[in-house]
Amino acid sequence: MTKNEKKSLNQFLAEWKLFIYNPTTGEFLGRTAKSWGLILLFYLVFYGFLAALFSFTMWVMLQTLNDEVPKYRDQIPSPGLMVFPKPVTALEYTFSVSDPTSYAGYIADLKKFLKPYTLEEQKNLTTCPDGALFEQKGPVYVACQFPLLLLQACSGMSDPDFGYSKGKPCILVKMNRIIGLKPEGVPRIDCVLKNEDQTNITTYPHNGIIDLKYFPYYGKKLHVGYLQPLVAVQVTLAPNSAENEVTVECKIDGSPNLKSQDDRDKFLGRVMFKITAHA
Amino acid sequence: WSWGGRKGQGLNLARKNEEEKKERETEELKKEVVMDDHKLTLEELSTKYSVNLTTGHSHQRAKEILIQDGPNTLTRPPTTPEWVKFCKQLFGGFSLLLWTGAILCFVAHGIQIYFHEEPAKDNLYLSVVLAVVVVITSCLSYYQEAKSSKIMESFKDMVPQQALVIREGEKTQINVQDVGLGDLVEIKGGDRIPADLRLISARGCKVDNSSLTGESAPQSRSTDFTHENPLETRNIGFFSTDCVEGKYRTISNLDMAVAQTPLFGVSSSREPKLFLWQCMEGVCLALTTKRMARKNCLAKDLEAVETLGSTSIICLDKTGTFTQNCMTVAHMWFDLRENDESRQRKTFANNSDTWFILAQISGLCNRADFKPNQETLPSAKRATTGDASESALLKFIEQSYSSVAEMRKKNPTVAEIPFNSTNEYQMSIHFREDSSQTHVLMMKGAPERILEFCSTFLLHGQEYSMDNELKEAFQNACLELGGLGERVLGFCFLNLPSSFSKGFPFNTDEINFPMDNLCFVGLVSMIDPPQTTVPDAVNRCRSAEIKVIMVTGDHPITAKAIAKRVGIISENTETAEDIAARLRIPVSKVNPSDAKAIVHGSELKDLHSEQLDQILRNHAEIVFARTSPQQKLIIVEGCQRLGAIVAVTGDGVNNSPALKKADIVIAMGISGSDVSKQAADMILLDDNFASIVTGVEEGHLIFDNLKKSIMYTLTSNIPEIAPFLLFVVLGIPLPLGIITILCIDLGTDMVPAISLAYESAESDIMKRRPRNPKMDKLVNHRLIAMAYGQIGMIQAVAGFFTYFVIMAENGFRPIDLLGICLYWEDKFLNDLEDSYGQQWTYERRKVVEFTCQTAFCVTIVLVQWAHLIVSKTCRNSVFQQGVRYKILIFAILEETFLAAFPSYTPGTDVALRMYPLKISWWFCAIPYSILIFVYDEIRKLLIRQRPGGKASLGPAPTEWSPAP
Repeated sequence: MTKNEKKSLNQFLAEWKLFIYNPTTGEFLGRTAKSWGLILLFYLVFYGFLAALFSFTMWVMLQTLNDEVPKYRDQIPSPGLMVFPKPVTALEYTFSVSDPTSYAGYIADLKKFLKPYTLEEQKNLTTCPDGALFEQKGPVYVACQFPLLLLQACSGMSDPDFGYSKGKPCILVKMNRIIGLKPEGVPRIDCVLKNEDQTNITTYPHNGIIDLKYFPYYGKKLHVGYLQPLVAVQVTLAPNSAENEVTVECKIDGSPNLKSQDDRDKFLGRVMFKITAHA
Repeated sequence: WSWGGRKGQGLNLARKNEEEKKERETEELKKEVVMDDHKLTLEELSTKYSVNLTTGHSHQRAKEILIQDGPNTLTRPPTTPEWVKFCKQLFGGFSLLLWTGAILCFVAHGIQIYFHEEPAKDNLYLSVVLAVVVVITSCLSYYQEAKSSKIMESFKDMVPQQALVIREGEKTQINVQDVGLGDLVEIKGGDRIPADLRLISARGCKVDNSSLTGESAPQSRSTDFTHENPLETRNIGFFSTDCVEGKYRTISNLDMAVAQTPLFGVSSSREPKLFLWQCMEGVCLALTTKRMARKNCLAKDLEAVETLGSTSIICLDKTGTFTQNCMTVAHMWFDLRENDESRQRKTFANNSDTWFILAQISGLCNRADFKPNQETLPSAKRATTGDASESALLKFIEQSYSSVAEMRKKNPTVAEIPFNSTNEYQMSIHFREDSSQTHVLMMKGAPERILEFCSTFLLHGQEYSMDNELKEAFQNACLELGGLGERVLGFCFLNLPSSFSKGFPFNTDEINFPMDNLCFVGLVSMIDPPQTTVPDAVNRCRSAEIKVIMVTGDHPITAKAIAKRVGIISENTETAEDIAARLRIPVSKVNPSDAKAIVHGSELKDLHSEQLDQILRNHAEIVFARTSPQQKLIIVEGCQRLGAIVAVTGDGVNNSPALKKADIVIAMGISGSDVSKQAADMILLDDNFASIVTGVEEGHLIFDNLKKSIMYTLTSNIPEIAPFLLFVVLGIPLPLGIITILCIDLGTDMVPAISLAYESAESDIMKRRPRNPKMDKLVNHRLIAMAYGQIGMIQAVAGFFTYFVIMAENGFRPIDLLGICLYWEDKFLNDLEDSYGQQWTYERRKVVEFTCQTAFCVTIVLVQWAHLIVSKTCRNSVFQQGVRYKILIFAILEETFLAAFPSYTPGTDVALRMYPLKISWWFCAIPYSILIFVYDEIRKLLIRQRPGGKASLGPAPTEWSPAP
């Protein structure tokens, strides 16, 4: 019985050996060298041709594209709202007032983000008239200044810790850039606290106003140096409590063509975030 | 009454009353069979069932009995209720998997509700969609199964068993279920016993009770009461057992050795595909069987069609297969001269005593009889029961001599040995009821055999002792008549001495009467003209490289004549004998390889199997003559040794051993016996050989079409898998999601794949070599390479092109997409920047992604258009073949609709996450569709120029071209 099995195993191995290399026919894996060469040549030619066709069609497609403006913009008719800095996972800020390392990351992010907004960086930008759309005809498009001072306490100038060390953390809220978007009315960002009323909420600039002069946006390539208008939200947490947990919801308000309500898109014109601060 | 050989006549005893209550039935099952009919004498029986034992029931009485007792059938085994079948479809196999998926999605949704306030409803919708898909597909497959089982049911009903009953003194053929209690039934060899019977008269009757007892040795049956136990006694025959004549044993329980060719050489692990294939295969087979049934070719078994497609040798029994199966008497030879029946009927009729005796033997030693109720018809057109040549004799005697019925009444049969292929004669003993009151023994059969029995011969009514002169004349006459392709029968008789007085118990098993030194009377030859369609059919088989071998019990010369007539032996080929005759040398000196056609008579039994193999291998045209059933078996085995798939036709019991061995058995619907029909995989309803060719054609076709369907569905595997691979490897957003894959597999691919089953045969379908089931798998490596490596790749590339177009046109250029998916999939990253500096929320970019997936799906549909069109043919160009536009356009429209509908219907974006596409995105696939079309046309051009080359996917067509 075992002898039989052994024999069949040997046979099996021998068959495999013969399959891998058959010395009589010179076949390697069931094909001769010539056969392998031919089949490889065939697939080389075939895939070469296929790749050529793919490249050609892609090239034709890329030729039809405009470098400045995407062909279709109907997928983003209305901007989303997003916060900065972005916590690693969900939109939940957790820090401890007494422990600077717990919020050092946020501060570093904010500083880096606000670097283009410093006076130094903005000196080549245009001062645009307030309260109206700043439409341009090209061919050169200029960017409007966004004075960091508008953010007042959250500008990082008076308080390099952006209020985190005092239990009054600043969080920037910004509207997504969309090429050609022209908000109507007086768009502003309205932030409310979802649960507690012990805490205070302040928005800078005053009332969370977004000036129309930053619109429309003409795209990365044309609109060099464009600065996105920002709104800072400063949450003043209740002092003397061991743990504070607040949920803030910000919405675009005051502009009839900017949506802030969508069943599926929770970030269309609105954003919700949570701050958990330990003493 | 004169009983034919192998007949038994019996009373139908017990029958099943279907309306009995169930409890009573189970009670009865426990009891021993109580039966005393076997102990009764004939008179007692007659009284018990109030039936006349010679004339049977009156029609009125039979009808009453039928109404009273119900039809004569066994209660059918309980069939599975329809709802159970439906549930099986709904909850079996793949459906179960989908259900699990649906439930998991639902549970996931529940968990989301529990943990989040406003969960995304994706999972809920997905579970609903999955459930709907399962319900719809199981409805479809239930419908499909119901349809095919209906077809199978109808086949069962189409071959009803018949029974020959005697009512009001007439033999009537009725369906078995109409046989009633007390009916007189006549049974001959090869019949299935239609009810439990008490034998009241029997001649050489043997039954095979193996279906009841498992014992396959035939048991002798007579009228004698031999045992107390009804199961043991000799005078009872049981329902559904077979009546055989002694020699061949295993007629019932004929387990068919149909080669089950593995259809799927390669199986895919992808369940939806398997499910799709099941559907396709079912549809293909059901369609084919239906189509064949329309052409009078009934496939009992769905695989039979497939097997027939790979048939490489057909062994034909001459009789009934390619002749019109209407024997007519052509010549007679007596008084040492030949009489042409058609010319001399009037002149010879009265002037020879030999003719008188010949006519008597023809009429009396004859089992055939006219069917009742057709007295008004001329005798040539009346339907008869019994063997073809006997019927021919019967009609001939009825026309040119006198009424056979009257003759038989005056000379009742008292004993009989039926014709069988070992004896090669038929003998009957008749009692002369005229003044002489003596017995006469009559015999007819193969001329040589008859001559062996004879020591005298009849010349103008006078007996002369046998001399060489007569023997020579006899030989010449035999050769001459046989050379015309006619079946020659010899006739002889013997007046038994008066010691065998009335009532002498003649025993045919242990012969107790003289059966030698008979007096030779003459020869009668009959011809069965070949059907007009046969030569063409043989030709078509040739061109498909199917060897047609004729295997017949006839004389070699007859066989050769018929074979030449129908083209089994071509015009210009010669047998060894022909060459010998031409060169005037003895047959033994002819070089066997010179002779193409070979006519082998009795020498077959002396051949070694190697010699037989040599013959089968080296000769293109073979006719085996004078073969016994055993030799037929040897021939079939020989063919199979050469690796051939052998189809055997047979119409009689004597073919059974060969039938059992054959790969596929073809029975004749009209002339075939019940046994052969039951054993058959295929029945030719019109007894026409040409229908076999139809079957072969359909077999080729079903293989082709299944191959096309599988190729079609396999192909889309690549564009389904490739997106996920690139998603992982390149980090691009997923180009094709689960819902869209399901949409392709269960939606858009389904109908087109099935539509390929409707494809008609390509013009060269019968020029192809039969498939070698071992080598030519349905799914071979070339098909895989073609589907996966080539067409599938083109399709995948087309899909990616569309994907990149949509992404780029919405702001995400291809180069920026690489590696983006880490950010793309982050739900909280809602300001993802595109190539133009715009920022996207998670939801908006997912919409773009799902739009891409929809477009990917649509692109696959569009490239599958081209693939569908090119899949319609294997070798011919689409332009040559022409396209059956109706089904093609329906399939294309259907798949396009199935892709477009979820894309554009409002609301599906929520439920299925399929989004509307811009018109221009539909055109992305066009260059690739054209590529597929052109590529495949070039491939087919190469195939046509170099048949059997590397470009083809299946068995190569033959080099042989059919004769014009």
